[in-house]
Amino acid sequence: MAFEPVREMKKLNYDEMRIYSEAELKNYTEEELKSFKCKYEIPDLDELEKGPWPSFVSDTKQEALRRRKLSDDQMLIGRDVCEDMLGQLQTSFDEGETHWKHGGIVGVFGYGGGVIGRYSDLAEKYPSIAMFHTVRVNQPASKFYSTDFLKTICDMWEYRGSGMMNLHGSTGDLVLLGTTTEQLEPIFYELGHVLDTDIGGSGSNLRTPACCIGKARCEFACYDTQDLCYDLTQYYQDELHRPAFPYKFKFKFDGCPNGCVASIARSDMSFIGTWRDDIRIDQDAVKAYIAGDIVPNAGAHGKRDWGKFDINKEVISLCPTKCMSMEGDQLVIDNSECVRCMHCINTMPRALKPGLDTGITILLGAKAPILDGAQMATLMVPFMKAEAPYDNIKAFVERVWEFWMEEGKNRERLGELMQRVTLPKFIETIGLPPAPQMVKAPRANPYIFWKEEDVKGGWNRDINDYRSRHKR
Amino acid sequence: MTEDIKKAILAYAEGSNKTKFYFKDMEKAVVKTIPEAKMRDVKKAATALVNEGILIYFSTGSSTMYGLKGRGMTEDPTEGTE
Ligand code: HEM
Ligand code: HEM
Ligand code: SF4
Ligand code: SF4
Repeated sequence: MAFEPVREMKKLNYDEMRIYSEAELKNYTEEELKSFKCKYEIPDLDELEKGPWPSFVSDTKQEALRRRKLSDDQMLIGRDVCEDMLGQLQTSFDEGETHWKHGGIVGVFGYGGGVIGRYSDLAEKYPSIAMFHTVRVNQPASKFYSTDFLKTICDMWEYRGSGMMNLHGSTGDLVLLGTTTEQLEPIFYELGHVLDTDIGGSGSNLRTPACCIGKARCEFACYDTQDLCYDLTQYYQDELHRPAFPYKFKFKFDGCPNGCVASIARSDMSFIGTWRDDIRIDQDAVKAYIAGDIVPNAGAHGKRDWGKFDINKEVISLCPTKCMSMEGDQLVIDNSECVRCMHCINTMPRALKPGLDTGITILLGAKAPILDGAQMATLMVPFMKAEAPYDNIKAFVERVWEFWMEEGKNRERLGELMQRVTLPKFIETIGLPPAPQMVKAPRANPYIFWKEEDVKGGWNRDINDYRSRHKR
Repeated sequence: MTEDIKKAILAYAEGSNKTKFYFKDMEKAVVKTIPEAKMRDVKKAATALVNEGILIYFSTGSSTMYGLKGRGMTEDPTEGTE
């Protein structure tokens, strides 16, 4: 049985929940915003606003201006929190040193993660950010929010926090930036009991899982990313909230090899949708692409004139394994050579579709730099079905965790452990047979590693007995 | 079983000269006294101690440790830098 919630999610109605009136939310004019000056001199931050990108400095100033104009009873933490944050950042720019100190025992009852304690070491100068804790909020699968939810959480955060938030962290969470210890339990209550939402992971635990948009919108999805993401989130609640891992652990779910959540680079365990059978070909649509009746790439690169579509140049010769060809007017694919790169399918989505025998590929061990630099994930399970209740996937997850928790050193990511014990030893320990898909290219050196049980007589032999038969 | 593990955890926590420790080190210490204790049992016992307010979590944001409440780990964050 797949996970079933005990009840439907509440339908939020912002009008019933709202803390601020429309006028209070827009309590400044554009002119006031333009002439806004932070109470500290922040020349380097002002400079940051000048680039072509939207700037967090502009966003922060906007929020600072709103907070200046709200009344005292409309916020529970320091009015100047945004300006103090900017001021301290400028100080750090000036001195080339951070003034944040972290750690401590902040958190909410029963949870070992999700709240990150942050303090300023310049509290006299910047009193509103003396405490500036971060709360991670578990985002819904594929980040489908209702407007009512977003408005409600924004009001709550204006009231109980700094008003500054980040959508989304690279883990996936909606990140609430800057509040005091006193506000943590009330925020946790509001999130859980009013917004029907949990806080996410931080620390040495399972981090908030995240998935691509999957079957909700995307025809390429080879499995239901949202369902698997939700199911594992619910199933591993204990791992998410009660840290006992050597270090952080991330799941990410891509519905196909296009990898819209970049799980291959950003998660310790990456799930990528794939298929075992053949790419489906609609030969009439292939002809229509060749004739120019259908725009390639679904028009995605259509703003410029690229000339007439040339299937040889744009598809066949770009296939990384050269497994496509035209036989007469028929497109032929040698599927046994196809590496599921998605290029041909992306270019001619109406002619080509992933196969029907779909499932997942599992890769392990990606991480961002700390010890030995960034590392992409390594393919471990070439193919596995991905159907509720996902018992096969859970069994695999637990085998990997068991080994990592047993063997992993403190602060050692799975990818580092895999390197330390070596891949052959790793796959043997978690019970995976070696598979050609794990190998990028056949090895060029002749070494063969024997195991003792494969050698007659094992490692111990009587050299004298041998010499009696074989002269030196 | 859980009660024994809890005792072993507390013995380790009180005997250690560190004020905060990784789960793994705590687990190793427990297994020394109770060899049949599984990692999950140790984790359950530690969670129970947290819920009883005897142990507390200490988190840097990127890794988490455990400590005895009221011993060395105070609300004073200067104590908590890595
Ligand atoms: C030349 C300019 C920039 C480059 C090359 C750049 C590059 C990147 C890269 C590579 C990532 C990681 C993406 C990932 O995790 O998949 C990232 C994340 C991010 N960037 Fe930028 N960025 C630039 C400018 C900016 C600016 C101007 C802002 C905001 C004002 C910004 C805000 C962010 C945020 C909020 C994240 C997510 C951080 C996280 O979740 O860890 N970036 N950026
Ligand atoms: C306005 C200020 C800040 C912004 C916009 C910001 C944003 C972020 C974002 C987007 C992430 C990634 C979250 C994720 O992966 O889901 C992050 C992670 C982190 N932030 Fe910040 N942050 C801010 C302030 C701080 C401060 C003041 C500190 C430390 C004193 C800090 C320390 C960290 C650490 C340690 C992590 C990584 C935790 C981990 O996943 O291992 N941040 N921050
Ligand atoms: S990863 Fe694939 S299935 Fe998921 S949204 Fe991107 S293209 Fe679609
Ligand atoms: S998906 Fe990639 S490897 Fe497979 S046939 Fe298409 S272009 Fe070639």
